[in-house]
Amino acid sequence: MKAQRISKIEHGTPVSLIVNGQEIQAQAGESIAAALLAAGQRQISQNSKSRAPRGYFCGMGMCFECVATVDGVPNVRTCITEVTPGCVVETGS
Amino acid sequence: MIPRKPDTTEIAIVGAGPAGVAAAVTAARAGASVTVLDEYARPGGQYYKQPVHTDGGPSYPHSLASTIQQGRELLEGLSHPGIDLQCNTLAWNISADELVLDLYSPAGARALQAQRIILCAGATERAVPFPGWTLPGVIMAGAGQLMLKAHGLLPGKTFLLAGTGPLLQLAAVQLLEAGAQIAALVELRSRTEFLKSAAHLWRYPDKLGQGFATLQKLLQARVPIKFGHTIAQALGETEVSGAVIMRVDGDGQPIPGSETRFEVDTICLNYGFTPATELPRIAGCEQYFDQDYATYATATNDSLETSIAGILAAGETRGMGGAEVAVIEGQLAGSVAAQQLGFSPPFDQNGLSDKRLQARAVAASLGKMFQLKPGLCALAADDVPVCRCEEVSAGEVRAAIRNGVVQLNQLKPWTRAGMGRCQGRICGDILRQIVAAETGLPLSEIQPFTARAPVKPVPLEVVGGPVAETDTLTWEDHVGGYGVART
Repeated sequence: MKAQRISKIEHGTPVSLIVNGQEIQAQAGESIAAALLAAGQRQISQNSKSRAPRGYFCGMGMCFECVATVDGVPNVRTCITEVTPGCVVETGS
Repeated sequence: MIPRKPDTTEIAIVGAGPAGVAAAVTAARAGASVTVLDEYARPGGQYYKQPVHTDGGPSYPHSLASTIQQGRELLEGLSHPGIDLQCNTLAWNISADELVLDLYSPAGARALQAQRIILCAGATERAVPFPGWTLPGVIMAGAGQLMLKAHGLLPGKTFLLAGTGPLLQLAAVQLLEAGAQIAALVELRSRTEFLKSAAHLWRYPDKLGQGFATLQKLLQARVPIKFGHTIAQALGETEVSGAVIMRVDGDGQPIPGSETRFEVDTICLNYGFTPATELPRIAGCEQYFDQDYATYATATNDSLETSIAGILAAGETRGMGGAEVAVIEGQLAGSVAAQQLGFSPPFDQNGLSDKRLQARAVAASLGKMFQLKPGLCALAADDVPVCRCEEVSAGEVRAAIRNGVVQLNQLKPWTRAGMGRCQGRICGDILRQIVAAETGLPLSEIQPFTARAPVKPVPLEVVGGPVAETDTLTWEDHVGGYGVART
């Protein structure tokens, strides 16, 4: 399920990031979670105990369900972290 | 850790949402030097979150554009030269004796000492657990709004919204205006309860009018509104592909046989909010049980001073009230703090106090209308995880309660509930509901988890300094573990 960019709204300049080795398009200023959702990637982490898929949930950095490894730093909350051009994101841990 | 003198400021404000910004602008205009700390990249909090791409002009859906515009006007005040706004900065600890905040930002760790601290930490959305609630595609309703507001992104195609209270309807209208399909809006209150409670608002025609205008938009768009129902299950393997709702009885207990299924890709939840009170609790500020919202919150006097000298609180941290209350309380707290430091604030404090009491009265009415119902705990079947981080099931929690656990702090060592990364922010209030339902104790007698620093996870070296190989680890009784002896 891909999140839809609302066409009426002016979006930012395109930037690309690398997610699990694949290049995806995002827009400057948006959060990594927004870029992932727009690319159709809803599973962002997995529970450390059950390995069950988890994703964007609270949107405000308090639930830690959308954490990923960003440029080598683990446990980054993608919902409150802005994309930077070329940033490398590893999801699913 | 290298001991370093903390930075200093006259007034430190934690949180750049409606309350914090109003407090900062008021205090700075009075002449005080103000430092505003916010965990996020941009100010505004959740309610006044600003679009990251555009100026939020007329291209934004109507219902969002007005909130964005109001927020922008408030945030313009932050350009005052007396205000030092520090974003991406987490205040992770507070020392009540010295009025020092420990801060962490990507630039590193530091401390800030203030003559007054105003805590405006906002609130947390609340969900109730049900089978499938951890699936990607189940999100908080506010999280859906944030994707719309900040990113112009619709986080799905076909939505089901479930919970109780006015936010659900507003979120539904915003999603509709952005082009979403809404399969159903599922409201816990029965139609009769809903209309009865609306009657309680007769003294506040503005609020009533706004509520009905929102409802009318949903009816015009033929959004099915399922009063007296609750979400009962999210369907799907790796993400949401459907939802099951059930009718509830007066206590909120789902009625077997009343299941209805919807094909949806996104489920938005909002069962109210709980005040964010970690820092005030660490500081030792007295908490009280807010009967209207059935949550604990930070107690203050009429000047918004907490029980700890030099620490004030404004907005949701003091008890749920909404953005309007938050702005008024921010102005009052900023004004009081500035006056205590010898400045002449621009506001008439008596006038603000009157406005505050009126706005609080409306919020109290709303709170009473939309409390959780105890029967909803039945949705958390024994195999449903209640604590999402540690995957502690409702069954494990109930077994602990059968063994005599009656407080959340006892549940922690017994089950690990609340010991994960979110530190109980998502499950804390739910666990209080379950303990109350199982033991029959009133909610007011079930205390929240003890708040501990760091309030959110920070790198270890931020808290304790780098651990050199030569450091000797010593047993530290107060933490029940080994630590580096500090000198």
